[in-house]
Order: sequence, then C-alpha cells, then structure tokens
Amino acid sequence: MGIRGTAGMDLAWTVEQDGGVSLVRCRVHNDEAVPRRVRLDSRLDGPVLPPRRAGVPERGWDAGGVVVRLAPSESRGVGFAAVADSVEPPVEVCAAEIETDNARIPGESDQSLAVPAETPPLTAIRTLGDHRPPRETVTDETADGSSGPDTKTDRPDDGDGDANGDGSEVDGDDAVPTAVGEWLDAVADRVGRAERLTDADLDAATDVVKETNGVDGVSDLRRRVETDAERLRAVSDRTAALAARAESTDVPIEALERLA
Amino acid sequence: MILAVAGGKGGVGKTTLAYNVAAALDAVVVDTDLGMADLPSGRGPDLHDVLAGRADPIETLRSGPVEIVPCGRTLAGARACDLTRLESAIGRIERERGTVVLDCPAGRRSDAGVPLAVADASVLVASPRAFALADAVRTRELARELDAGLVGCAVNRVVEEPPTETIADALGAPVAVVPADPRVGRSVEDERPVVDNAPASDAAVAIRDIVRRVPR
Repeated sequence: MGIRGTAGMDLAWTVEQDGGVSLVRCRVHNDEAVPRRVRLDSRLDGPVLPPRRAGVPERGWDAGGVVVRLAPSESRGVGFAAVADSVEPPVEVCAAEIETDNARIPGESDQSLAVPAETPPLTAIRTLGDHRPPRETVTDETADGSSGPDTKTDRPDDGDGDANGDGSEVDGDDAVPTAVGEWLDAVADRVGRAERLTDADLDAATDVVKETNGVDGVSDLRRRVETDAERLRAVSDRTAALAARAESTDVPIEALERLA
Repeated sequence: MILAVAGGKGGVGKTTLAYNVAAALDAVVVDTDLGMADLPSGRGPDLHDVLAGRADPIETLRSGPVEIVPCGRTLAGARACDLTRLESAIGRIERERGTVVLDCPAGRRSDAGVPLAVADASVLVASPRAFALADAVRTRELARELDAGLVGCAVNRVVEEPPTETIADALGAPVAVVPADPRVGRSVEDERPVVDNAPASDAAVAIRDIVRRVPR
C-alpha cells in the first residue's frame, strides 16, 4: 500500500504478486476544483495487461498505462496486471492537465494525454454482446471421444479427480484414455449428485445428503464441483485449441513418400 | 468499397443475396458468419484462421465464378476469433481486389455489428414476413449507428406481391423484390450466379437494381 500526492492528484495503490504476475490496484483523486485529465504509467518491467471487455482493452489504456478524466474532487479506481516483479511505487502520475471541454489545442497540450481514438469496430465490439459461442458448446464438439473404454464407475467421490495430480497427469504408459475416462466419470458422478440437489424437494435432497455422508459431505461436494467446473473449462479450452491446430495440419505424406 | 449484406433474422437468404450481389459487382464475397458459415468452403485457410492471426487474408481467397473468402465451420474456431482483426483483414482484401461484399451473420451481437462497422454501405435482406421486417428495421438502426449507409433492401423469396411501399417506408430505403426462383436458391451451392446463369430473370433484374445503387 502506498500513497503519493502530485500536483493536486492523490494516488494510492496496492500491489499483489502471484506466480510472476503483479496485480496493481490504484485509486486516483482529483483535489482541484476543475476537471482534469491524468496519465498513470506503470513502472513495472513488463507490458501492461489492461482490463478488457469482450477481448478489447477498456478505453484509455495502452501498453504503458492509462489516461483517465476526473471531475473536480472525483476519485477513480483503476487496475491492471503485468508479468513482472512488483516495484514501489508500481505506478506514477506521468502527466496531468486541466480538461478543456474536449477541445484540445494542437501543439499546446501533452500528447501523452491523448486518449486513443475509438474506431467504429472497437465501439461495436465493446457495446454489442460477445460473439463467441459458449464454452459448453465447444466442449461438446471436441469431447466426443471422452467416454473411455473401461469404466470402473463404482469408485466413491474420492476418485483421483481431487488430488493435485489429477487425471491429466499421465502415470501409466499408454493409459491416457483410461485415466481421462476415470476422471470424467468421477466428475460426472459428483455433478450428477449436485444436479440432483439443485432445486430438489426434501425427499430427493435427503437421499443425496445420505449418499454424500451428511451435510459436511455436501459442502465438500459443492467445493469439489466448483473445482471440477474450473478444471473442465481449462481442459476444454486446451482440447479445443489442440483440435483446431490438429485440424489445420496437413502432413504431406505423398510428397514425403516420393522423396523417400 | 465494402458492402455489408445484413438482416437481423437468419434464413432469409443473406448468403444467397450476398453471393449474387458480389457476382453483379464483380466483387469478392467474404463469409463473416463466424458461427454458422454458409458459403462454400475449401481446403485452405479461412476467415477463422485470419482472425486468429494464423493466415494472411489473401491466402484465403478461393477462386470461382465469384471469389470467396470462406469461413471455418468449428465452434472452437469461432471462439478463437479476434474481431479486432476484421477491419484490417477486409481492408487488405479491398486494396487487393477493389470491391468486397460481406455476408453478415444474423443477430445484433458484435459479430454482426463489426462487419457493419467495417463496411461503407449496407444492403438489408428481409423475407416478406412481418417478423423478418421487424428484424430488418432493428438491423437498420444498428447499421445507422455504425455508419454503414443503407443503400437498399432486398425482399427475398417473394411469392405474392409484397407490400413494397410499407417496407420501403419502414426502412427508409428503396426496396427490390427478389422473386422465389430455384435458380437463385441453388446459385451458391452450384456456384452459378443468377446474373450470369439467367441474366433475363426477374431475380437477376432485382439484383442488378440493388447493385446500381451501390456507390463505387
């Protein structure tokens, strides 16, 4: 946590570091009685990863920082991440000027305070709904071979899906489909129970709670299903990307055979 | 010149119209329907690859009676598309080939909006049904916001005389009536544009009528 005041601008920040990525949160306050425009620059040694909507950086951001407009006495919170170690301070007020009714006199004001122009396609992307088909639909498309050949479904909910080395870690030699199949079966079992509990009546819920070793078991189930959802998404993203790459390959076997 | 062929509703014949309008304009037609591509595809790279940064737009041109930029068929490919790349990709094809027709997806999400934002002008396609007209009116609003001037509306697959004046009033644009004609329906699949295949047909006349209003 740090605080700094520069020329009528108060800046406070916190930095969190996790796995090589620094997350910077700052709050900037305009102390003056006039609207002002301020540029905050990252001091971290890596490109700024700005907040995005539908894949497009929010307005005002570029690779070095952000330009914000502040009404008199207004405060704004901004944040970004960067793949870099944190430094103190992580941000600095690089320029601040009085906002002049949007009309900017060329040559007279600091170029670094210009907000990047908004093109119609960017406006469309930002203001209209996300075009991407939902992840779930992509999973269906790519996970058709998921039901493994041998399905030992009698395992309880402590299958190998919960430990950190889950089914994605290949421990057997060519046991990949079996491991993946087992993991998915364990997940399907948990999701099935969670589904039965969703909007369930008392009788149905009692049955599931009994099966799941009481209320503690149910709270455990909920946590696990949340983790399952995250993992399934991650796997789905990866398999979808791999499938797309696999589809776009074209091994020129005829040409190679001719050359051999 | 970049012309968007749009219309809020699916299944009204946007792809067929886009293909035939492109033929009459001697233009390239780009399938921008990222999730439900309709124009014939090929074996090479497609628009999904371009928007994922894997291919140059020029590599995707597929020759034929009308040059086509096909679109990928997978949902994973659609998910991987970065729409911010569309403007420069279409701009590149325009510089290379002159006129580009964009076959837009249905709906009013960003995948329908961005082609309109990229286009200089637009043509709306509606079926003679009232609800299709309602969708066309909403898409007209979107085209207006995104600055794709409306040059006309094609009322497609007309069997009975449609209320042309009502439609023209609702959309504030001239209306061309494209009669139901199996040659139009088959033109994309057969890759035989009706303006070449049946130049004297009413459908071909209607398409040339639309094309005359396109600024060039």
